[in-house]
Amino acid sequence: MDAKPTKTKFHFQISASSGVPIYRQIMDQIKIQIATQPWDPEQFLPSVRQIAEDLAINPMTVSKAYSLLEKEGVLEFDRGKGMRVKKISSSQKNFGERQKDVTPLLKEVIVKAHQLALKREDIFSLLEKLWREHPHEK
Amino acid sequence: MKNDIIDVKNVTKCFGSKKVLDDLSFQVGQGSVFGLLGKNGSGKTTLIKSILGLVRPQHGNITTLGDDPWCFQESTKEKIGYVPQMDSLYPWLRIKEMVEYTASFYSRWNSNLVNELIEDWGLNPQDRIGTLSVGESQKVSIILSLGHEPELLVFDEPVASLDPFARRQFLKTLIEIITRRPCTIFFSTHITSDLERITDHVALLHQGKIMFCGELDELKTRGNLNLEEIFLEMTR
Repeated sequence: MDAKPTKTKFHFQISASSGVPIYRQIMDQIKIQIATQPWDPEQFLPSVRQIAEDLAINPMTVSKAYSLLEKEGVLEFDRGKGMRVKKISSSQKNFGERQKDVTPLLKEVIVKAHQLALKREDIFSLLEKLWREHPHEK
Repeated sequence: MKNDIIDVKNVTKCFGSKKVLDDLSFQVGQGSVFGLLGKNGSGKTTLIKSILGLVRPQHGNITTLGDDPWCFQESTKEKIGYVPQMDSLYPWLRIKEMVEYTASFYSRWNSNLVNELIEDWGLNPQDRIGTLSVGESQKVSIILSLGHEPELLVFDEPVASLDPFARRQFLKTLIEIITRRPCTIFFSTHITSDLERITDHVALLHQGKIMFCGELDELKTRGNLNLEEIFLEMTR
């Protein structure tokens, strides 16, 4: 693995025969990749046309995913350049709002941990480990 | 509506005592990729032929590209590309000759596009139509429907005889077309296939009636089912 990834590439895996609309699949995958990969704030997402051709899907579907993510504040449109990941600084959202954003994800972790009979300490130490390893921390 | 490329209102078509289309209505908006789904014998081909003025319904009104299909103007016909279920190619001609023959009917013809597709799709322009497989003939029919760069593409079961590789090429070509210029695509199918990847609207035709017509995403979100499951569910 590259020790210093300078550019993040977005990868998509689309299943047309899934019950989940394709635009939803793209949105979810972009969100997950933004959350789990180091990305350069200057880096742009692939163009609508490029994704449509790569994945053999309708360009309108990609546009729909992009514009919904823009509305949600995940991406921002830079005129003439394209879509890029929106950097949310602490000034734009207050502490409470940011906590609220992350709460449902943490609740999911708790439910899953109970299902798998994992203890509180197990989850905490795993989170601690993942936090340290995350590229944003480096 | 002004932006509807196809507008079907209360259309009924009977063959003898058999009612094939039963008072059905729906619209196809400009720029959409519209899939008409139905079992064998559900009336898909009759509906397509009615939209193109090849069959005349007993009741109701159809407007295609703002024109009456039964007496289409020449200028309207130039805006339509059609691939019938059974190809209408001449077996004694070579692919190259079939292309030239078809091109002669149109005032505009994109030879570059056609030649590129013939090459990309692995066809030999010198081959006689009569020696081609069903799938290869279908490829030729599709290519011929694209040469005059129509605003409305109508395909009756376009992928039925194509292998998975050819289906991907077909999809890729359609995506290039809709990315490059405004184009509405209307196709029928009895199989839910990779065409689902580019379809934004669907209509389910069952026993001559439209069971559902709307956005594919809406349909999926509602039931959390894929198109095949929805199709089986609704036509049971």
